[in-house]
Amino acid sequence: MPDFTDNLKPRYDGTATLQAERDASSINVDELAKHLLSRNGFLERQQRVLNVLSKEKLFNKDQLLNLSRPDRYYLGLARSKAIQRIGRKLGWDDEDYKMAEYLNDEMSPYHLHTTMFVTTVREQGSEEQKAYWLPKITNFDIIGCYAQTELGHGSNVRGLETVAKWDPERKEFEIHSPHLTASKWWNGAMGRTATHAIVVAQLLLPKQGKAHEYENHGPQPFIVQIRAEKTHQPMDGIVVGDIGPKYGYASMDNGYMLFDHYRVLKSALLSRYVDVSDDGKFTRHGHPAVLYGSLTFVRANIIMHARLILARAVTVAVRYLAIRRQFRDRDSTNEQEDEMKVLDYPTVQIRILPLLATTFALHYTGEYMYMLYQRSRETIEKGDFGPLAELHSASSGLKSLCTMLAADSIETCRRAMGGHGFGGGSGLVLINADYLSKPTVEGDNWMITQQVAAYLIKKMTQAVKNPNNKAKDPTDVLFQTYLQTRSSRTPKTIVSSSGIDDEAIVDAFQWRAADLSYRAYQARVVEKKPWTKLMVQLHNLSRAYSEQILVTNFYSSFETTSSPLSAPTPAVLRRCFRLYSLYTLDTFASSFTLTNAVTAESTYALLDAILELMTELRPHAVKLVDAWSIPDWLLDSALGRSDGKVYEDLYDRAHRRNPLNKITFNPDYRSEEIVLGSGDGGRDLLAKL
Amino acid sequence: MPQTPSWVKQLKPSGPQGSDLLASERAASNVPVEQLSELLFTKETIQKKNKILATLKSEEMFDKSPNYYAGRYEYFEKSVARAKALRNLKLRENWTLEEYRIACDLISEPLPYSLHEGMFVVTLKDQGTPEQQERFTKPADDYKIIGCYAQTELGHGSNVRGLETTATWNPERKTFTMHSPYLTASKWWIGSLGKMANFACVMAQLIINGKSYGPHPFIVQIRDLKTHEPLENVHVGDIGPKVGYNTMDNGFLLFNNVEVPHISMLARFSEVDPNTSKYVRKADPKLIYGTMTWVRSTIVMQSGSALARGVTIATRYSAIRRQFTDRDEPKAKVETPVLNYSMVQIRLFPLLAATYALHFTGKAMMNLYTRAQETLSKGGASILADLHGSSCALKALSSTIAVEGLEVCRRACGGHGFSSFSGIGNWYGNYLPTVTFEGDNYMLTQQVANYVLKSARAALAGKAAKNETGHILAEYLKKKDIRPSFDITSSNADIVSAFAWRAASLIFDIQNKRDNLKTAWNDLLVDFYRMNKAYAQYMVVVNFYNTLQNTKAAPEIESVLSTLFRLYALHTLDQEASDFTATGACTERQVAVARSTVEQKLLKEIRPHALRLVDAWDFDDYVLDSSLGRHDGKVYEDMFYRASELNPLNRVTVDPYPESPVCFRKVEEAHPKSKL
Ligand SMILES: Cc1cc2nc3c(=O)[nH]c(=O)nc-3n(C[C@H](O)[C@H](O)[C@H](O)COP(=O)(O)OP(=O)(O)OC[C@H]3O[C@@H](n4cnc5c(N)ncnc54)[C@H](O)[C@@H]3O)c2cc1C
Ligand SMILES: Cc1cc2nc3c(=O)[nH]c(=O)nc-3n(C[C@H](O)[C@H](O)[C@H](O)COP(=O)(O)OP(=O)(O)OC[C@H]3O[C@@H](n4cnc5c(N)ncnc54)[C@H](O)[C@@H]3O)c2cc1C
Repeated sequence: MPDFTDNLKPRYDGTATLQAERDASSINVDELAKHLLSRNGFLERQQRVLNVLSKEKLFNKDQLLNLSRPDRYYLGLARSKAIQRIGRKLGWDDEDYKMAEYLNDEMSPYHLHTTMFVTTVREQGSEEQKAYWLPKITNFDIIGCYAQTELGHGSNVRGLETVAKWDPERKEFEIHSPHLTASKWWNGAMGRTATHAIVVAQLLLPKQGKAHEYENHGPQPFIVQIRAEKTHQPMDGIVVGDIGPKYGYASMDNGYMLFDHYRVLKSALLSRYVDVSDDGKFTRHGHPAVLYGSLTFVRANIIMHARLILARAVTVAVRYLAIRRQFRDRDSTNEQEDEMKVLDYPTVQIRILPLLATTFALHYTGEYMYMLYQRSRETIEKGDFGPLAELHSASSGLKSLCTMLAADSIETCRRAMGGHGFGGGSGLVLINADYLSKPTVEGDNWMITQQVAAYLIKKMTQAVKNPNNKAKDPTDVLFQTYLQTRSSRTPKTIVSSSGIDDEAIVDAFQWRAADLSYRAYQARVVEKKPWTKLMVQLHNLSRAYSEQILVTNFYSSFETTSSPLSAPTPAVLRRCFRLYSLYTLDTFASSFTLTNAVTAESTYALLDAILELMTELRPHAVKLVDAWSIPDWLLDSALGRSDGKVYEDLYDRAHRRNPLNKITFNPDYRSEEIVLGSGDGGRDLLAKL
Repeated sequence: MPQTPSWVKQLKPSGPQGSDLLASERAASNVPVEQLSELLFTKETIQKKNKILATLKSEEMFDKSPNYYAGRYEYFEKSVARAKALRNLKLRENWTLEEYRIACDLISEPLPYSLHEGMFVVTLKDQGTPEQQERFTKPADDYKIIGCYAQTELGHGSNVRGLETTATWNPERKTFTMHSPYLTASKWWIGSLGKMANFACVMAQLIINGKSYGPHPFIVQIRDLKTHEPLENVHVGDIGPKVGYNTMDNGFLLFNNVEVPHISMLARFSEVDPNTSKYVRKADPKLIYGTMTWVRSTIVMQSGSALARGVTIATRYSAIRRQFTDRDEPKAKVETPVLNYSMVQIRLFPLLAATYALHFTGKAMMNLYTRAQETLSKGGASILADLHGSSCALKALSSTIAVEGLEVCRRACGGHGFSSFSGIGNWYGNYLPTVTFEGDNYMLTQQVANYVLKSARAALAGKAAKNETGHILAEYLKKKDIRPSFDITSSNADIVSAFAWRAASLIFDIQNKRDNLKTAWNDLLVDFYRMNKAYAQYMVVVNFYNTLQNTKAAPEIESVLSTLFRLYALHTLDQEASDFTATGACTERQVAVARSTVEQKLLKEIRPHALRLVDAWDFDDYVLDSSLGRHDGKVYEDMFYRASELNPLNRVTVDPYPESPVCFRKVEEAHPKSKL
C-alpha cells in the first residue's frame, strides 16, 4: 500500500558514502579477493551456487526471525531436501553442496548425514561394511546421525554410560541405557530426521573363562537403525526425540535417545580397527592414524570457517559504522559541518579494526595447515605424520583460540553498532546464536587447551633432557634456542622512535610461549604440582602458543606469497599484521613482561602505536572487507549492505515485511481481547499455553 | 509420539544424584544463607517478594513453561495478555509501585506497558505544568491514554541534538506542526510504540520563526482511542524481531505535517508564549538529571542480580556435572564435579565475587542518592554532581561486566549451556540492550571524562575536595612525589588505595594531555575509556570495602565476604596489571603475587561456600526457569522432562527423504501452521 513514507530519503546518502570510501583507497579488491579465496575455486563456486539458491522462494530469508521453533525445523528440512534435489539435477559435487549449505546459512538436518555419519563409516568401517553401507548413504536411502554425547557426558568420552553387551548365545550385541544420564543427547539430526545412528557405546565382552563377568573394552562405534523405514516411527525398544529449543541451531533437530535391551547384529560394530570374534574375543588391528590426519584437516576447516565468520561480522560493522553519523567533531567550530562517521572515533575503531586485522591472521595459519596436510597426505596413510604431527597437537589450541575469537567478535561488532546492532536488521542475530555452539562442540574450548599444554610440557621435558637432539619441528627449535639463551635474555623493544620492529614482534610472541612452557614444565614435572591447580596457567599457555603460531605464519606470509600483490595492498597487510600483534600484546601485556619477552617500557608505548596504525588502516577498511566477498544475500543485513542503503532497508523490513504490523491489538487492560475486533477474549491464546 | 514408556520413566540419573550432591555441598559450608540474603535485600523485601511470587505462580497466565517454544508473533501476543493480566493483578492485590516492580522482576521479560509506566508517566510528571498534569497525566494514570517515550530515531540515538523530527510553531493558529523530513527522522526503537501506545512523548526540534531551539518533548496522540488505528498522516508500527526483547513492541513513527495544539509541548522548563511567539525558559532543566542518575543507579544495582542469575545456574550445575576423574587421582571411583577444576573456578568465582561487589556498590549509590536529595538545599549539589559522574562511570562498567559474565556462565556449562533450558540464553538476550540504552557504555565514558577533568582542574588549583573523587585526586597530588607503596598482599585498605592511585593517575594523565598537550578530544577517546574503567573499578572496590567495614554480621559471613572482596579486587588487578604497574600503583612482582594468590589460594577458599553464596541470592526456580540451575539439583530429570514431554516438535513425524517434498507427515495435536 503506498503511503507518504514512500518518498522519504535518509538524511545522509549511504550509497554515496560507501562509494566515497571506496574511492579513497587504491587497494585492488579483485586481486586481494583472489589472493584470499581461490582455494578450490571458492569465488567462482560461490557465485554459481548463489545464482541458483537466491532465485528460489524457499530460500528467502525474510521471515526466519519471526518463526517458531517447529516452523524453523520444518523449513530447515524443506530446504535440505530442496538442496539435494537441485544438486542432483545440476550435477553438483561435494564442494558445491557444502557451498550451498554455507550460503543457506543454517544447520541442515542432513548435516550430520553428510559429515560425521558418512565419515565414520568410511574411516572406521571394514571393507565389507563400506561396500554395504556407503551406496545407501550416498543415495539417501538411509539418513544418519552421530550419537556420541550423552545427557551426563560430553567431554569425557570414556565416561559414557550406554553399553553394548555381547550375547554369546545369539552372537549379537544388546545395546542398553542403564540410567537416565545414559540418554544420548545433543546429537544432530537424531531428534526427528535420522533413520540410522552411529551409536558410541561401551563394549562389554565376557571375561575369558568367566561366563558372567564382563570386561569393558571402551567406547566403540556401532551402526544402528533407529526408525522404521516405512512409518519412520522409532524401533521397538528405542525412545528417541528432539531435545527442544536452543540458543541457536533452530533448524536442527538435536536429539535424545534411550535403549531398552535393544538387539543389534554383530556386524553393527564398525570393525576396521577393532573386532569381536564369534567366540567373543576382542582384537585390535591397524593404527587409526588416518583419523588424526583428517582431524587436522577438520581443524584447518574450522579456522578457515572462523575467518569467514569474523569477516562477516566485520563487514557489517565496517560498512554500517562508515555510514552512521553521530555528533559533530567536538573540537570543530564550524556549525555547518556534517556529523562525524562513527568509524572515525577511536573508541569505535579499537573495537573493530583489530578484528579486521585478525581475519587475515587466521587466514594465513589456515592456509599453512592445508598446505602441510596436502604435503604429508601420503606419509599419513602409512601412519607417519611428518611435520603434521606437531600441528595436529597444536591444532586443539588453535581451534580453541580461533572459534573463541570469532564468537566474541560477532558480539563485539554487534554491540559497537549501538541500538541497530540489537535489531534483526543487523544480520548478526542468527549467526551469533548459531556460531556460539562452536566454542563447545568438537572439543570444549577450555578442556582441549589441556591437550596442547600436555604436549608442550612433554616437548619441553625432552628438550631439557636432551638439549642437543636433532630438532624435528619448529617447536623443538624454539625450545632448544630458548634453553640456550635463557640466562642471557634481554627483553625486546617493540616500538621505538625508529618505528615498529616486526622481527622483535615475532620473537616476543615465540619467547613468551617458550617461557610459559618452561614454567609449566617446572611446575608440573619438577615441582610436581597437581594438574587441577595448574589449569588456569595451562590454559594461558595454550593461548600464548596459539597466538605465536598465528603471528609467525602471518609474518612468514610476507616472504612466501607466490603471487605478488600490487601496491598498496602489501603495505596494508603488514599494518594488519602489526595491528593484530600489538593489540594482542597490549591485551596480555603483563604476560609478555613477566616472561621477559618485552620491556615494560615498550608496553607503555603500545597504545599510541595502535592508534596510529588504526588511523593508517582506516581509509582502507571498506575495501578490505569488500575483499572478503561476502554476498549480500548471505549477509542478510540491512546494516551491512554493499550498496549502503542501510536506512531504506531497515525501514523496508520494519514496515513492509513485518507480520506484526498486519495486526491491530487491543491495548486496554480492562478488555481481555488481544487482537482488536476478534472478540477472542484471550481464549485462543490460553488454549495454546 | 507415543507416551513415554514405563522403562524410561523408571530411569534415574547415574549416581550420585543431583539432589544429594547439592545437599552435601550445602552441608560443607557454615555460611548462614538466610542471614546473608537479608543482608543483601532486607527481611522485609524478601517477605514481600515471596508473597508476590506465590500470587504469580498461582496464575496460569504466568506459567513460564511454554515460553521457549513460541515464535515472535505468539510470544508477543502472549506478552500483551500478560501485561493486561498483571495490571489487573496489581489492582486486585492492591500492590504498591514497588511491589508491582518486584512482580515485573520475577516475570523477567519486558512487558509492553512498561514504557508507559516507566518513561511516559514519569516524563509527564517531571516536565508537565499543572494544566498538563490534569490533561494528560490523569488519564495516563488511568490507562485511558497509553504512552511511550519517543526520542531515538533511525538516524540518531546517542546524539540527541541531532534529531531530525521537527515541531514548527504556527503563530496564527497557535499550534505546532510535527513533521519527519527524512526517512532517518523516523522514530525507532521506541518501546510500547509499535502496537500498544495511543500517545507518544515525542522529542522534536522546536522551530520558531525559522530558528531551531533544540529538542523538546511533545505529547502527541498517534492512534484513535476507539479503533486503535493510526491517525491520519501518522505512520507507526513495530520494528521487527530482535536479539531479545521480543515480547516488546519497539516501534517506528513518522509524521506527515501533523498539527497539534499548544498544550502538547511539555512546558515546566520552557515554553512558547502563545501571544508573542517568544521562547521562554522557565527553570533549569538540569533538575531532570536527577531522574537519569536514579535510573543509572538502578542499573548498577540490578547488574549484580542480573549476573547472579547466570552465576547461580552455572555454579549449581557445575557442582552436579561430573566429567573425568582427577588426573592426579586415577583410582577415584566417581568422576570429579567440574566445579572442582580450577579452569572452571577461574571463570565463575571472580564473577560470583562481582555479583556481591556490584550489588553493594549499587546499594551505596542509592543511599547516596537519597541523602543527596535530602540535602539538596544545603550544598548537596556537589554530591549530586559526583553522583552523576559516578553513576555514568558505573553504569558503563557494571552492565558490561554483567553482560559479558552471563555469556561466560553460559559457556562454562558446556553443551547444555546452549540449550534454552539452561535459562541463561533468553535472559541474556533481554538484558543485552542495557549496554546500549540509558547511554551507550562507550559514549558515557566521555561524560565521565568531562566530570573528572573538571575535578582534576579543581584539585590542581588547590580547591578543597568536596566529594570522594576530589579526595582521591588531592591525595594523589599530595603523595605523587613520594611514590608510596601499597601492601596489597596483606592489607585490604591498601588494595583500595592502590585502585585509587591508579584511577587518579590516569585522570591526571588525560588532564595533562587535554590541557597541556592540547590533544584533540577525539584522539583521547580510548584514554577516556581506560580511565573510566579504572575510575569505576576503584568505586566498586571502595564501596565493597566500606560495606565490609560497616557490616555487623555473623563471623562466617564477614569472613567469606572478605574473601570475595579480595578475590574481586586481586583478580581485577591481575587483569589490568599493566595499568597498575605503569602508574606505579604496584610492582610487577606484586602483580605476580596477586595472580598466584587468586589462583592458588582464594579460589580454593571460596570453593566450599560457592553453593551457599549463590543460594543467598535467593532466586526462586520460577524466576530462573532453568533445568541446570534448579535449587533441588534435579538437572537431568528436568532436562529430560522438558525435552520429551513439553517439546512440541516431538508430536511430529517427518518424511526425511529428499525425493519427497513432504516434510511433516503426521502432526499430533495442533501445531502452528507453517507460515512460508
Ligand atoms: C549445538 C550442538 C550440537 C552438537 N551435536 C552433537 C552431535 O551431533 N553428536 C554428538 O555426539 N554430540 C553433539 N554435541 C555435543 C558436544 O560434542 C558436547 O556438548 C561437547 O563435547 C562438550 O561436552 P559437554 O557438553 O559434556 O561439556 P562438559 O564436559 O560437561 O563441560 C562442562 C564444563 O566443564 C568443564 N570441564 C569438563 N571437564 C573438564 C576437565 N577435565 N578439566 C577442566 N574443565 C573441565 C568444561 O570446560 C565446561 O566448562 C553437540 C553440542 C551442541 C551444543
Ligand atoms: C531494546 C531497546 C529499547 C529501546 N527503547 C527506547 C525507547 O523506549 N525510547 C527511545 O527513545 N529510545 C529507545 N532505545 C534507543 C536507545 O536509547 C539507543 O539505541 C541508544 O541511545 C544508542 O543510540 P544509537 O543506537 O543511535 O547508537 P549510536 O549513537 O549510533 O552508536 C553507534 C556506535 O557509535 C559510537 N559513537 C556514537 N557517537 C560517538 C562519539 N561521539 N564518540 C565515540 N563513539 C561514538 C557508539 O559508542 C556506538 O558504538 C532503545 C534501544 C534498544 C536496543
